[in-house]
Amino acid sequence: MEKPTEIAREGLAALLGAGAEKAQCRFTQTTTDELNVDLGECSLLRTTFDTHIDLAAIKDRRKGSTSLNRSGGPALQEAAAAVIGLAAASAPDEAHEIAPAQPAAVFTAGASRPDRDKLYSRLKELLHEIGARYPRIMVRQAILDFTRTESALVNSNGVDFVTRKGIYRASVFFSSREGERVSSFNITGFSSRDLERSLLECGSLDTLLRQSTEQLVTRPLQGKFVGEVIITPDCLGDLLAFLSGAIGDGPLISGTSIYRDRLGKRIAAPVFSLHSRPAGGEICDGYFVTADGYAAGDLTIVENGVLKSFLLSLYGSRKTGLPRAVNDGSAFVVDPGETAFEEMVRSVKRGLLLARFSGGVPGESGDFAGVAKNSYLIEDGEIKYPLSETMIAGNFAEIFKSITAVSRERIDFGSALLPWVAASGVTVSGK
Amino acid sequence: MPELNLRDYRDLFSGYTELRAQENRTVNITFVRGNNTLNSRSSTGGISARVYRSGSWGFASHPVLSAENVKAVLRAAADSALFLDSREKKNRGPLPADPTTSESDFSTTRPRRSQKELVEFVRELDDHIASAYPELAGRTVSLRCLDMEKRLLTADGSYARSMIPRSFIYVDLALIRAGQPVELFDVYGGLGQFEEQFSSPEELFEKIAGQHRHLVKKSEGVFADAGLKTCVLDADLAGILAHEAIGHTVEADIVRSGSAAGGRIGQEVAAPLITMIDYAHSYKGKNCPVPVLVDDEGTRAQDAVIIEKGVLKSYLHNKESAAHFKVAPTGNARAYQFSDEPLIRMRNTAILPGSSSLEEMIASVDDGYYLIRASNGQADSTSEFMFGVVLGYEIKQGRLRRAIKDTTISGVAFDMLKTVSMISGEMNWMSSGMCGKKQLIPVGMGGPALKCRVNLGGR
Repeated sequence: MEKPTEIAREGLAALLGAGAEKAQCRFTQTTTDELNVDLGECSLLRTTFDTHIDLAAIKDRRKGSTSLNRSGGPALQEAAAAVIGLAAASAPDEAHEIAPAQPAAVFTAGASRPDRDKLYSRLKELLHEIGARYPRIMVRQAILDFTRTESALVNSNGVDFVTRKGIYRASVFFSSREGERVSSFNITGFSSRDLERSLLECGSLDTLLRQSTEQLVTRPLQGKFVGEVIITPDCLGDLLAFLSGAIGDGPLISGTSIYRDRLGKRIAAPVFSLHSRPAGGEICDGYFVTADGYAAGDLTIVENGVLKSFLLSLYGSRKTGLPRAVNDGSAFVVDPGETAFEEMVRSVKRGLLLARFSGGVPGESGDFAGVAKNSYLIEDGEIKYPLSETMIAGNFAEIFKSITAVSRERIDFGSALLPWVAASGVTVSGK
Repeated sequence: MPELNLRDYRDLFSGYTELRAQENRTVNITFVRGNNTLNSRSSTGGISARVYRSGSWGFASHPVLSAENVKAVLRAAADSALFLDSREKKNRGPLPADPTTSESDFSTTRPRRSQKELVEFVRELDDHIASAYPELAGRTVSLRCLDMEKRLLTADGSYARSMIPRSFIYVDLALIRAGQPVELFDVYGGLGQFEEQFSSPEELFEKIAGQHRHLVKKSEGVFADAGLKTCVLDADLAGILAHEAIGHTVEADIVRSGSAAGGRIGQEVAAPLITMIDYAHSYKGKNCPVPVLVDDEGTRAQDAVIIEKGVLKSYLHNKESAAHFKVAPTGNARAYQFSDEPLIRMRNTAILPGSSSLEEMIASVDDGYYLIRASNGQADSTSEFMFGVVLGYEIKQGRLRRAIKDTTISGVAFDMLKTVSMISGEMNWMSSGMCGKKQLIPVGMGGPALKCRVNLGGR
């Protein structure tokens, strides 16, 4: 194993020696032990060791960057020289900058090595439990891995951060089958610092497996209506991805973000509050250092419906004159509401329990159209039956404004902590 | 990529083993509204080994190509295969073998351009867009190049060396209408290094003018009317249809997990007009976008005829699935990074051209849509597919009318293919996207225009 801080410092010295005025180097080494299930049986044990070096330099207001996954021999010196060449080829831009000096820090989370036997036994236990409880489920692929990351980030202003993180991650991809009948596939995942709990107890897996079996028999919807949707925690990520994308560097620098003039203003219903909390411990699969060299902090993005922060990097902030975010986003936490999930269902006259959205990636306007997968019709306050061939359309920005309730219950995915969210104004169409 | 003779390590193989050295090299230059936000190169490579033991696999990789690391990954992969086999005890037989040797290098022979020249090229294109279309609210121009270089040695005697490059320029234009952004992207490029695809920015000006004309019409567009509609899908959509709606359902691992194509070999699954093939490397004597001569298990890549005149003929296989189905492997096992194991992936999946013209197809629709450009797509185990549509027009009484806003189409593939009533005579390939299935992988998608009935999302 190599020593991340020494290599990062070596990379920084190489950049400065090659002529950089300001420079940053991040060295990361990753070891992953990954156990794979394919077609219901353990198929592959994959162990990978990798290193990754990101080098960036600014000279005469011009920036160049490169990344490579080798550090031995002359690789660093050659890469540093190449970065200076890239910078010379770039257009000058006053907004290029590196993070200022901050107190040096070492961040540590999770185990340092996997328990390989436990990886195997937990995955076998999952297959056994699924076979016993949900015999019609076909586990198409399940992956349980342990990833150990050691990373060092240094820059020419004196930033010196080290991160050591160990995390277990699981994903399960499945469908149900009975005779000729096949259900839609579904997929979920979660992260954990340890393997103390059975995998079936983690995230939303047990609920989705049960629903998959129900979804062997679906009905297409007839006709079209505008109704309410209850968005499940697994599906809420699509909505959050739209919002975080729209308040990031690209659309704000480009000037096309629909939220460009909305900082401090209402963009969602007052029941909705969204945070990004990568560093505080609430999210076990978070991060401690931003890509541009700051110690990551926790951040409130939307508070009671009001946009409190964009997700701008240092470059994006300098380019737009708007405040820099204290982290890189993700690690989302949505505050729980006061309504029980069952109560949310009872309040729906006609609508959907939307469990997975399969559609075109919405443009910056937020308009979307797609298929409601693994979803259920709700009528007169009751979940009626699973649907097939049902499309939904609307606008993500409008959905945030039309949120009517947020559930008390939340799912802890390890990488996010999310509730069920009810909203109105979605067009639902069948055959 | 550093030189290392893989054959020097053949004696260290234990049982069926694959040893692969690989490097992926990228160039990424981006201008956002005139700002050079990214000017970067990257290189990711190393050595990996995969070992098969009675039905269980072990895999290991290391980023540094050295004799010591080759021995280490061979040992670690064998240990992992033993770990699993000692617990799983599947007692499966050997994998099929058909040793082959291949060298394929699609590198340019022209003088290479420097990074500075590449930046200048993108900047000139961006400057042209800024001056020609000053009303644009946003524009992003990106050059992305990927070289995939591999060397592979397998225990059953295959040796393959390949270098498959691709180069694309992505242009995303945006207008603000009634306070809302309206975007349209397009992609230019394909197989080959930059010098094979692009000579001067001026060559793209006319295409960008067409993209801009479509954007202006789209900004005045309407929401599509939701429901089952008669549509003419242009070649761009036919290609993604072939890939998403059918191609994934016939990947043999997906078939074994219960896809709708399971057990339907020999059955009529589409209109007799439809023939669909996953080409290995060439179509009518010309290279496909992703030419695969030997796959990452050392199998000589063969064209796989999926549907012939409406009848399902075969699935896509790696060695393990071929052994299960008792057929020959088709050469569809592909890995993206050096640290990835090969999975069953498509290569160049296409619906074959017919004999109609696009004009007569549009003229034959009384009330429907002409859908031109797709974004992302997804297929389900039920064979229900969807893909995003970012450019399309209404058809009324056989003539194109208003543009439509972004929408999504969906359908059940084998039902929808039975509604195909006309196919145009062109074959167009697209290859700018990546297919995702645990790993990303470059794929080619091709097709003519199709007239069919699909569900359209809208309001």
